[in-house]
Amino acid sequence: MSGIKNQTAFTIPVLGGIPVSEAVLTSWILMVLVMILVLLLTRKLKPDRPGRVQAFLEMCVGSLNGFAQDSIGPRWRAFAPWLGTVAVYIAVANLSGLLGLVPPTKDISVTAGLALTSVCLIYGSSFRFLGLRGGLRKFAEPMPLLIPINVMEIIIRPLSLCMRLFGNVLGSFVIMELIKALVPVGVPVVFSLYFDIFDGLIQTIVFVFLTALFTGETIQEE
Amino acid sequence: MSVAIGAGIAVLTGIGAGVGIGIATGKATEAIARQPEAAGQIRSSLLLGCALAEATAIYGFVIGLVVIFMG
Repeated sequence: MSGIKNQTAFTIPVLGGIPVSEAVLTSWILMVLVMILVLLLTRKLKPDRPGRVQAFLEMCVGSLNGFAQDSIGPRWRAFAPWLGTVAVYIAVANLSGLLGLVPPTKDISVTAGLALTSVCLIYGSSFRFLGLRGGLRKFAEPMPLLIPINVMEIIIRPLSLCMRLFGNVLGSFVIMELIKALVPVGVPVVFSLYFDIFDGLIQTIVFVFLTALFTGETIQEE
Repeated sequence: MSVAIGAGIAVLTGIGAGVGIGIATGKATEAIARQPEAAGQIRSSLLLGCALAEATAIYGFVIGLVVIFMG
């Protein structure tokens, strides 16, 4: 059960030693892998005659854009790239258990950071698109009685986004470790299909979907 | 001993999440059977509802961990 604690991978020997946690190291490895994959996949893009890879990529981007359009509304264009980036990062991080790495999303600091960026996006876009007055008036909707609840949501939304992702990934990690300790061969593969692949992808969709939904709700005008 | 009992009580939140997700999924199945053309919208709201219902179980789990490792 030592796997629950977050390990320090190594320490940078400057300024009295900066500890680099395992989650950061794994994130760096995943970033390198994703960058290599992106460079390989987008090498020979042709505008007129798309190949099979390009057709697949265009389908992915198209469905992402459609999803952003459905959940955010007419101003989806600015948000689609950010949603896609976060989706790719969380999906790759959740699936990294398959490669034998420790998922970075098991560290609560990583999910807290993701949730904080989400809440900055949600309320930042509200003030950006509705102006200062419009953004403040958004807190008094649907009626001024609900102002305390709407203000509390500034804290509750990132907390629940953060805890949901962290708890799911850590929970499935703990269960997978228990199963591996109980039956080392064969059985973990079946369970890893559910806990690593299915649950990881569902949590990716839920995180991005909730962020998009909250954003769409806060930038909506009357 | 008391730490283990406390963690066990915290994880009882899973009951509520299980019942909630069960009800939501049952209703969504009924809705899709009645109106198959609205399946996409029903599925996305089901996903949202499941995520929100599941959150209680996750809170219980996190509290259980806090009780065990920091209590």
